Amino acid sequence: MMASNDDLTAALQEYARRIRVNVVRIAGMSDCHTGGSLSIADLLAALYFHILKVDPQNPSWDGRDYFILSKGHCVPALSSALAMRGFFSEDELVRHLELDSLVSGHACARVTPGIDVSTGSLGHGLSISVGTALGVRMDGAANRVFVLLGDGELQEGSNWEAAMAAAHHRLDNLIAIVDRNMYQTGPTEQMMALEPLAEKWMAFGWSVRVIDGHDMPQIVEVLEAVPFEPGKPSAIVAQTVKGQGVSLSRHHHMDRFNAEQMQAALAELGEAEG
Amino acid sequence: MAKAFGEVLLEFAREDPRICGVSCDCWGFLIPLHNEFPERAIEIGIAEQNLIGIAAGLAVRGKTPFAIGMNPFVTMRCFEQIRTDLGYGCRNVKVIGGYGSGVMYAGWGCTHHAMEEIGLMRLIPTMTVVMPADGFETEHAIRAAAATEGPFYIALAGGLLPIDTPEGERTFRLGEASVLREGDDVTVMGTGAATIEALRAGELLAERGIAARVLSMHTVKPIDREAVLAAARTRLIVTIEEHTVIGGLGSAVAEVLAEVGAGTPLRRLGLQDVFACMVGGYEDLKRRFGITAEAIVEAVMGSA
Repeated sequence: MMASNDDLTAALQEYARRIRVNVVRIAGMSDCHTGGSLSIADLLAALYFHILKVDPQNPSWDGRDYFILSKGHCVPALSSALAMRGFFSEDELVRHLELDSLVSGHACARVTPGIDVSTGSLGHGLSISVGTALGVRMDGAANRVFVLLGDGELQEGSNWEAAMAAAHHRLDNLIAIVDRNMYQTGPTEQMMALEPLAEKWMAFGWSVRVIDGHDMPQIVEVLEAVPFEPGKPSAIVAQTVKGQGVSLSRHHHMDRFNAEQMQAALAELGEAEG
Repeated sequence: MAKAFGEVLLEFAREDPRICGVSCDCWGFLIPLHNEFPERAIEIGIAEQNLIGIAAGLAVRGKTPFAIGMNPFVTMRCFEQIRTDLGYGCRNVKVIGGYGSGVMYAGWGCTHHAMEEIGLMRLIPTMTVVMPADGFETEHAIRAAAATEGPFYIALAGGLLPIDTPEGERTFRLGEASVLREGDDVTVMGTGAATIEALRAGELLAERGIAARVLSMHTVKPIDREAVLAAARTRLIVTIEEHTVIGGLGSAVAEVLAEVGAGTPLRRLGLQDVFACMVGGYEDLKRRFGITAEAIVEAVMGSA
């Protein structure tokens, strides 16, 4: 059992590393929201390679778990995970922002296979996920709805309308994950403080866990444990580092790497030349 | 109106299991649906942004939600959610302005005037905009919305202004103006609650020997180009709406006329780039701001 858990952890960590490598390659091709993409790489690896029920051959499969990236500017990480999961070719990733490519600058359901909801304007994803979870419940179905939010994004008031509604309607098929990387264009707590954040979610009626968003065993354990309480939506505050894994992107919102920077970043991620 | 809308929604919900209702503090509209299908009627409180987001999410799951709020708030407060989550998102959501179309709230204050609803909704690609004149058109608008894929905005006129036209003669086709009165001298076009003034003007003009064609332009988007082009063959077109004249029905008609190079004069009655700020009743306000049959008659007589 231990061995298989270790194997799972190692496998997911490798997927997370490859997501980061893809994000860096994208940043070598075009402007890229590196910081927030790198901070969610571990979460996405666990979701797409262990937790979410999805069918890359049939993205609109009725039985799928829904995943909504509310922080839509971090779609480079999501596109990487989707390509690696087989929704489309990984070769497409470096066509980021190119004419008619499948990889857009903000999450776009119209162009990228596997993306259900177009996002980019912050504060939309949680409400949409509440509606999706209500729709699933109307069907008496077992699909779960995962939504990944940025921490700065929580300054948008619509999130708290949605948080209230999710608890009121007892949506235990809904899981909100907050990428608590502490930075927006500057330090979040200086710009508009969110603390005490876990307590806010609790006060809104959610069941809350706080984890290290880069510790794979913790991520897996918490995602396997949802819903934390029957009749309540689950919130996971994932403490992360903006730019995790790539020193050049630490606390950066956006990067465009030259060849030398890209090689340095790839080397840091243990990726061989080329 | 809430009851009438609710009964109609329930009727369609019985036929189509995808139909559900989401209320933004407008629960009265959903009581009939809730009584029969409790799980398909959802109250979300006073939160327009969340209303539209939740409706979008229900559509992600394949539902056909009717999302109901008050006209001024459900079009302005959550404009970006409607534009992005429903328009860009291609969601099959029907946004219903349930209370307070146009300037119905009159002296209750400009906060409650929906004088931008047509313009805002018309701006959004793929959005169909329907402003029914009365209960008859409302029922048909709901049916059309349920039967047509894509985002809709329907402003309920409140049912306060029944148009006194024999039921048997009425027709409703989405995207086609309804002829309420035949006439070849001038054309008067109304939309929503203002349509009754157009119809009344038709009678007043007849007394003066002028044959006015009166149209209910219930579908403002897509605009009925054929009806506008036919109107351009009369000597004057007057539009009337409880809306700022910028961006509403008058603008939509002007766009068609200008594009085809029709030289027909157009008079746009409505709020002339002002807030209708006054204390008084609905009829008082309409008189003061020239949204009446008499104002139409004046426009027609003045143009001779």
